[in-house]
Amino acid sequence: MKNDLVTIKGMADGMYIEVRGNDLESLTTAIHEKIMKAGEFFKGGKLIEVRGDELSPENRLELMLILKYKYDFKVDIPGISVPVAEEEKTEPAKINVFEAEEGLSKFVHGTLRSGQEIAFNGNIVVIGDVNPGAQLKAKGNIVVLGSLKGLAHAGVGGNTKAVVAAYSLLPTQLRIADLIVRPPEDDTQYKYPEIARIVDGEVVIEPYLPNK
Amino acid sequence: MDNEKMGTAIVVTSGKGGVGKTTTSANLGTGLAMLGYSVVVLDADIGLRNLDVVMGLENRIVYDIVDVVEKNCRLKQALIKDKRHEKLFLLPAAQTKDKTAVKPEQMVELVNELKKNYDYIIIDSPAGIEQGFQYSIAGADRAVIVTTPEISAVRDADRVIGILEAKELHDPTLIINRIRTDMVKRGDMMSIDDILDILAIDLLGIVPDDESIVISTNKGEPVVMDDKAISGKAYRNIVRRITGEEVELLNLEANDESKFSKVLKLIFGK
Repeated sequence: MKNDLVTIKGMADGMYIEVRGNDLESLTTAIHEKIMKAGEFFKGGKLIEVRGDELSPENRLELMLILKYKYDFKVDIPGISVPVAEEEKTEPAKINVFEAEEGLSKFVHGTLRSGQEIAFNGNIVVIGDVNPGAQLKAKGNIVVLGSLKGLAHAGVGGNTKAVVAAYSLLPTQLRIADLIVRPPEDDTQYKYPEIARIVDGEVVIEPYLPNK
Repeated sequence: MDNEKMGTAIVVTSGKGGVGKTTTSANLGTGLAMLGYSVVVLDADIGLRNLDVVMGLENRIVYDIVDVVEKNCRLKQALIKDKRHEKLFLLPAAQTKDKTAVKPEQMVELVNELKKNYDYIIIDSPAGIEQGFQYSIAGADRAVIVTTPEISAVRDADRVIGILEAKELHDPTLIINRIRTDMVKRGDMMSIDDILDILAIDLLGIVPDDESIVISTNKGEPVVMDDKAISGKAYRNIVRRITGEEVELLNLEANDESKFSKVLKLIFGK
């Protein structure tokens, strides 16, 4: 994955395309392959930005134009007006309302081990354990269907409404928005699922199934 | 600042893994702080950090050494104050990065900066002789080699001493860890003399194989603070030697054959 010239990322607000290098020809070929492979998936999608550290402004514009006219992406290119038909305007708006509230979620299957890090611009759901030394960083919520013993940071960027929930919530350190807390020094282990959220400026941990 | 200190940076290294570098680093750092020195223990094992766990400070980490060299934070922000000692600090390694994240030049700069404000900088080097080892020794003034009485560990220690010589880090001192006098007596384990014969460097100290170390490691409290443990005493002696004091080598045999068993022998005439 890391060696790919082109990475396409779907975010809540649209798609980002990250490119490596500045060779227009190889990049257009790589983008073509990606889009062909994905079939209809990207068709008509909204493109927010083409990013690349080595990419020159001219090539960036060129790529955006190709994406717009060859592959039908919705692209806002400064200085070039994008005519949008009326019916197109209304339809994605519904989806946007939903996305603005919940954001996208990343599902991780399996155990996260020491040194592994998942960072996502939305929610993270782990179907497995998060071991000490592993890190989760989400702009939104974090849910672990297993024991959370590593570090979890929900609400990266300042979302104080974000929560962290786990079947067994025993993190090394827990962060929500800009607050950092660590568990008390005693070894008390609670045997029920818990949720952590910010209440009155403090991180509060409580069972989310109080009757069990 | 006018009253800048000029501290000493000591790298703890071994070549072979699992001989007790991290345990030694934690105990040397804590022991020096117990004597009133200001100390930073620096975990250079990026990607496989442990020193924070052994010192019981894992849950306090916010920034790490990579954040410091990449200037994501100030050095002061990354230093974690020890729970028990006012003048002891940990600079943790990063766990989600690897050894390519720090370059020797950056390490030299970092250690020199620390030396201005602290008496001792203890650098816990990773196992091996690659990148991680190379930047670990880059800023060091002195080296402490840790080995165990096994031929493989001694062989690696010898290799490391050679590399340190080549890097102009002369006169390393040796800690022999996990000595078992009963096995040495039976001839089943290399003796201190056997090891010194091969390595031919100054002995800084010996640490007996002691289950208190396992207990203290799991509790996150370095054994040097344990008055009752023989290994704690061994580390306290080593620390005093580091500060220049002359301390006799621990007599492990006295411990091996405790006064109690001697009394029993007298009574039963065995």
